[in-house]
Amino acid sequence: MSATDLPQGAASSDILDSPMQGVWPPTPAMLAEPVDPDLSRAQAGNLRKAWETPRGWRRITAVNNSHVGKWYAMTALAFMLGAGVLALLMRVQLAVPENGFLDSDRFNQFFTMHGSAMMFLFAVPMFEAISILLLPAMLGTRDMPFPRLSAYGYWCFLIGGVFVLGSVLFDAAPSSGWFMYPPLATESEGIGADIWLLGLSFIEVASIAAAVELIVGVIKCRPPGMRINLMPLYAWYVLVVGGMILFAFPPLIAGDFLFELQRSLDWPFFDPERGGDPLLWQHLFWIFGHPEVYIIFLPSIAIAAMVVPTAARIPITGYSWIVLSAVGTGFLSFGLWVHHMFATGLPALSLGFFSAASEAVVIPTGVQIFAFIATMMVGRVRMILPMLWIAGAVAIFTAGGLTGVMVALAPFDWQVHDTYFIVAHLHYTLFGGMVFPVIGGVYYFFPVIMKKNLSERLGRWSFWLCFTGFNICFLPMHLTGLLGMPRRVYTYSGDLGWNMLNLISTLGAFVLAAGILVFVWDLIRPKGRAPHSARNPWDAGTLEWTHDVPDEPWGVRSVPYVTSRYPLWDQPEMLARMDAGRFYLPDAPEGERETLITSAVDAVPQHVARLTGPAWCTLVAAAFTGGAFILPTFKMYLPAVLCGIVAIGAIIWWLWTATARIPEARFKDAGLGLRLPLYVSGPKAPGWWAVFITMLGDATGFASLVFGVFFYWTARPDFPPPDAPHAALLPSLAAACLFLASWGATRIARGVNAAGSIVPARGLLLAAPILALAGAGALFAAVWLPGLAPTSHAYPAMMWALVVWTVAHVLCGAIMQAYCLARSLAGRMTARHDADLWNTALFWHFLIVTCLVTTAMIALVPRML
Amino acid sequence: MSLQADRGNMASRPEQSKLNRAAILSTILLGGCRGPQSVLSPAGRDAEVLASLFWVLLAGAVLLWLAVNGLMLFIAHLRPHPHSRRLAEALIIGGGIVLPVLLLTALLVFALREMPRQREMGSGLTVRVTGESWWWRVEYLPEGSETPIASANEIRLPTGSRSEITLEAREYIHSFWIPAFGGKTDMIPGRTTRMSLEPTLPGQYRGQCAEFCGESHARMALVGVAMRPDAFARWLAAEAAPAREPTTPEARRGREIFLREGCGGCHAVRGGPAQGTTGPDLTHLGGRATLAAGTLPMTRQSLIDWLRDPSAFKPGVRMPAYDHLSTADMADLAIYLEGLK
Amino acid sequence: MRSRHDSLWYMIFAPGIWALHFVAVYGWAATICAKGAPYGLARIGIAAVTVIALVLILWHGVLAWRQWDLLDDGDHVHARPTAGDRREFLGHAGLLLAIVALVGVVFVSLPAIFIGDCR
Repeated sequence: MSATDLPQGAASSDILDSPMQGVWPPTPAMLAEPVDPDLSRAQAGNLRKAWETPRGWRRITAVNNSHVGKWYAMTALAFMLGAGVLALLMRVQLAVPENGFLDSDRFNQFFTMHGSAMMFLFAVPMFEAISILLLPAMLGTRDMPFPRLSAYGYWCFLIGGVFVLGSVLFDAAPSSGWFMYPPLATESEGIGADIWLLGLSFIEVASIAAAVELIVGVIKCRPPGMRINLMPLYAWYVLVVGGMILFAFPPLIAGDFLFELQRSLDWPFFDPERGGDPLLWQHLFWIFGHPEVYIIFLPSIAIAAMVVPTAARIPITGYSWIVLSAVGTGFLSFGLWVHHMFATGLPALSLGFFSAASEAVVIPTGVQIFAFIATMMVGRVRMILPMLWIAGAVAIFTAGGLTGVMVALAPFDWQVHDTYFIVAHLHYTLFGGMVFPVIGGVYYFFPVIMKKNLSERLGRWSFWLCFTGFNICFLPMHLTGLLGMPRRVYTYSGDLGWNMLNLISTLGAFVLAAGILVFVWDLIRPKGRAPHSARNPWDAGTLEWTHDVPDEPWGVRSVPYVTSRYPLWDQPEMLARMDAGRFYLPDAPEGERETLITSAVDAVPQHVARLTGPAWCTLVAAAFTGGAFILPTFKMYLPAVLCGIVAIGAIIWWLWTATARIPEARFKDAGLGLRLPLYVSGPKAPGWWAVFITMLGDATGFASLVFGVFFYWTARPDFPPPDAPHAALLPSLAAACLFLASWGATRIARGVNAAGSIVPARGLLLAAPILALAGAGALFAAVWLPGLAPTSHAYPAMMWALVVWTVAHVLCGAIMQAYCLARSLAGRMTARHDADLWNTALFWHFLIVTCLVTTAMIALVPRML
Repeated sequence: MSLQADRGNMASRPEQSKLNRAAILSTILLGGCRGPQSVLSPAGRDAEVLASLFWVLLAGAVLLWLAVNGLMLFIAHLRPHPHSRRLAEALIIGGGIVLPVLLLTALLVFALREMPRQREMGSGLTVRVTGESWWWRVEYLPEGSETPIASANEIRLPTGSRSEITLEAREYIHSFWIPAFGGKTDMIPGRTTRMSLEPTLPGQYRGQCAEFCGESHARMALVGVAMRPDAFARWLAAEAAPAREPTTPEARRGREIFLREGCGGCHAVRGGPAQGTTGPDLTHLGGRATLAAGTLPMTRQSLIDWLRDPSAFKPGVRMPAYDHLSTADMADLAIYLEGLK
Repeated sequence: MRSRHDSLWYMIFAPGIWALHFVAVYGWAATICAKGAPYGLARIGIAAVTVIALVLILWHGVLAWRQWDLLDDGDHVHARPTAGDRREFLGHAGLLLAIVALVGVVFVSLPAIFIGDCR
C-alpha cells in the first residue's frame, strides 16, 4: 500500500509509535463546536497567570521569547550602530589623501572591530533575535522549546559583545583584521587579539545554542497538521541556517582553541619556525567565514519570502524551488571557502574546485530571486513599505551577486582580491542580502512585535536616504578598487586617481547613516499614545498574524490545527476558533507553561511539553560563563577556572530543578479529544534532539582538529618530525578500552534502567564516570610519559590539543553520568522517566567516537605517516 | 634613469606630481580608468587578458542587472496585473537554471583555461621577492646565475618574456601585486609561493602590498619597471656592480657618517664595509624612484626627512630615528645616499 | 526505519553526495600535489569519484522523479495537507536538489580537465 492511499495523518510511521490517545486528526464537527464564553474566559485567565512576565527589576529574569527576542534585537541594533560609527570615522579618515584624522593603529582597530562587530555582534545575532522573536508566532506555538537557553544565550551575547566592542574605547581593541590572520595576530602585542578570540568564542557558543533551539523549534514545535510541505518558508530557512551554524561555527571554535593555545601557552600551531603553518588558520577561519555569509543572507531573504506573497496577495510561486534554493545554497556554501584564499598560491587545480563551486552557488541564489519575481508576476503587487525595502534589496543584491560571479573566477580575483572592488562587492551583497530585507522585515513585522505601527512617511524617507546613500558610497568603490586601492589601508597618496572617488564614498556614507538614523528614530520614538495597529494590517496569510492586540503573554491562545500554507487565507474560521480556545492546549489549570510537541515530518501531536519559566540561574550561569571566557584575557587563570565551576554549577542547578521533571499524571487532555503524554524520553523528546544537534556541531569541531593533523601532513615535510617521540601505545590502548567500558556501562545502564532494574543501573552509573576519568588519565599519560613537548613543534602540540579537547569532553561526559546517578538516587529518574539517561547515552555515543579517533590519531596514525 | 615610455608615473618630484594630478583629473573625466596602479591600464600579458575579461563581464553584468530589475519594475509598476502562472514558472526555470548554467559554464571554462597560462613557469630571469616589515627585498637571479643581485622596493622586468617570481615572507603575510602586469600572490612565512609575469609595455608602474600586514600596510608600495630586454640587461649589469665611489667631499663625509652611525649594521652598500642584511640593500639607492617602499619620492629633502623621523612617515617602522645628527651631517649623509646610483 | 517518502534525510541525499565528492576530490588533489605524486593519478582519482557521484545522483534523481510523480496529476504545488502531497513535495525538492547537485559535481570536476599540473 502506498502512502497516498492511507487516510490523512495515518500515513506517517510517526503515528504508529505515537503513544497518544483519542482523536487525531480532529473532525470538522469538533472544530465547529462553539466554546462556552465563560469557560474560555476562565481558561484565558489561567493561561495569563501561567505565562505572566515578572514585573519591575525582576523583569530581567524573563525568558519568554517575546522578551528575550526584543532584548536580543535591540542589543544587536545597538552594536550595529556602534560598528557603523566606526565605519563613518574610517570614511572621514579616507575622505582625503594623507589624512591625519586617525592614526594607523587606531584605524586598524576600527576596521577590525567594524568587521567583527558587524558579523558577530550584529548580523548573526540579529538573525537569532528575529527568529526567536517570530518563529514561535509563525509556527503557532507558545514559545521556543528551551526558553531558558534563549535567555542564557542572550546574556552571554550581551556580556561578550560589550566586552569585545567596549575594548575600542580603551584603545585596546584587536587590530589584526576581523580574520585575525597569524602570524600578525599571534604576534600582536597587548590583549586585543585575546579579547577577540575569547570574547567571540563566547558569543559563538551562544550562537550554537540559538541554532540548536531554532532547529528543534522548527522540527518539533510546529502546530498539529503543519506537515513539512506546509511549513512557512521562513521556517525552512531557519532550519537550513541552523544546520549551517552547526557545521560552520565549530571549525572556527576549533581554530580559536588552537590560536589561544598558541597565544597563551606558546604551542606553535601557526609558527613556521617550529613546524606550524599560518595557512591552517586561514582554512579554519574561512570554512566558517564563507558559510557565515550565507548564514547572514538566507534568513534575511527568508523575510523577503514572507513579505513578497503578502505584497502580491498570492501564495509563493515555486515553493519547492525556494526550498531547493535554501537547501542547495546551504550545502554549496561549504565548498567556497578557498575563494577567500585564491591568492595564497595553492595549486591551480585546488583553486579550480572552489572557483567551480563558487559559480555553482549562483544557481540556487538565482532561483531564489526569480521565484520572487515569478510570485510578483502571478499576483498583483502592492508597493507597501516593506515591499519597497525588499525591492531595493533585490536591486542591490543582484548587483552584488553579479560582481560575485566575477570574483569567483580565480584569475580575475587575482587582480581585484583585497581591493576596494571586494569592499564594494561584499557590501552590496550584505546590504542587499541582509540590511535592506531586515529593515523591510522590521517595518513588516513591527505590528506583531510591538502592536503599533511605524511611520510610513519616515519609512519612505529612510528608504530613499539609505538607498541613494548606499549607492553613492559603494558604487564608486568598484572603480576605486579597479584603480588599485587595496583594502585596509589607513591612508593613500594623492596622485593615484583615488581622491575624488573616496570623497564621494565618504559623502555617500553620511547620507546612508542619515537614512539609518531616520529608521532608528522611527523605531525608538515614543509611541505610547499612538493607537494599536490592526491585527493583520497587511492582510497576510501566515500564522504570526493571529497575534493578540493588545499584547498577551501566552504566544497563542490555543495551538491551531493547520491545513494550509497560508492558513489565514485558506482557513477563514481559524482565527475566531483560536481566540475562543477551540484548538489545542487552551487552558493551563496546573499553572504550568506548556506547548505542543509534534512529529518531525507530519506534525502529528506527540507530547505536551512543560517549558521552563523565569529564572535567576540562567543569569548567574551567563555571568560566570562570561567570567570564564573573559578573565583569561587578563591572564587571570585561577579566577577563570573558579568562574567556570560556578557556571557549571548554575547550569546543573538549572537542569536539576527545571528539566525532565516527573509530571503529576501520565497523560494530559490536550483539547479536541486528544490525550497526550506529559513525559517522553529518547527521540520523541525535544531535549534528546537538542543533544543530538549540539553533538553534531561538536563533532564538526573535533573533525576540524583532525583535518588540522592531515593538513600539516600535506603542508609540511616535517610532520611528524623524523625523530619525534610518539604517544605511548600502551596507555593509549588502555584509554581506548576504559572509554569503551564507560560508554558500554552507560548504554547498558539505560537498557537495564528501562527494564526496571534500578540498582544494577545505579551500579553501572557509578562505575561509568570512574572508568571515564581513568581513561582520561591514561590518555593524558600517553602523551605525557614519552615527553611530547607541545612548545617544541606543531606535531606534539597538535597531539596535545587532541588530548586536551577529548579530556575536556570526557570530564563533561563523566559529569553527565554522575548527574544521572544522582537523579536516580533522588528519585527524579525512574524506569519510565529516563530522559536524562537517554540524553547522556546519546552524548556518549558521540563521545566514544571522539575518544577512539583521538587514540588512533595520537598513537597509530603518526606511526603510519 | 632611462625610462622612455613613462606612462603611468608614480609619486615622484612635487612638480611632476602636480602634473600627474592634472593628468589624472582629465583621465577621470575621460573615463577614469587609467592610473599608475590601475587594473584597467594593463602593461602585461596577464593584465591585458584580465582587463578585457573585465569589460566583457561588466557588459554582461549590466545587461543582466537591467533585465532582472527592469522586469521587476515592469511587473510592479508598469503592468501590475496578474500574468500567467505558466510564464512565471518558465521564468524560474529559464532564469534560475538554464541561463545561469550556460553562462557560468562558459565563464568557468574560460577561467580554468586561463589559470594555468598565468601560472606558466618563467624562462630566463628569476626574481626572488621577500616581504619584510614593511618593504620588499628583491633579488635577481639571471638564468644560470647562483649569486643573487640584491635590491629592494623596486622590481624591474624585461618585456617580451615571462619572468619567474619567487615569493617569500619574513614576519607577516604580505601580497605581491603590480596591477599593470598581472594578479597578486600572497607571501607567507614558512612557505615559498611563485608566480610569473610577462610585461609587454615598457614603463614605470606602481604596486602595493595587498594583504593586511600591520601598522604600515598602507605604506608598503613598490615600483614595477618594464624595460626592453637590451635596456634591462644593461641595467642589471649595473645593478650587480658594487656601489659607486663618492666623488664630492660632502658625499665622502656622508659615507663616513653612514659608517660612524652604524648604518652598515642593517644596510648593505656593496663594495664597502657596510654589509647588514636586516634592512634594504642601499647599493643603488639613488637610482630608485622612491624611498621607503613607495612612501616618499627619492629626493635629498625626503632622505633628510626620513632619516630624522622614519616613523612619522611609516608607523611602526623598525628603523630608528637619527634626529641627533646635526643639520650639516644630515645634509652630507643625504648627499652620499642620493649619489648611490 | 523511515521510508524515503517521509524522511528529510533522503531529500538531502544528492547535495550530500555533492559534498562528499567535493571533499574527496579536494583532499585527493591536495595530497597528490603536496606529495609530488604523478599528476595522472590526480586525474584518474577525480574521474573515478566523479563517475560514482554522478551515478548516485542520477539514481537518486530517478527515484525522486518517481516519488514526485508529476505525470499522475500534474501537481507541482503540493500545498494540500495530505500525505500524498507531502510525499510528492519531498520528491520534487529531492529532484531539484539532484539537478543542482549534478551541475555542482560536473562543475567541480571541470578543473581536472583544463588544468594539467600542480602549479
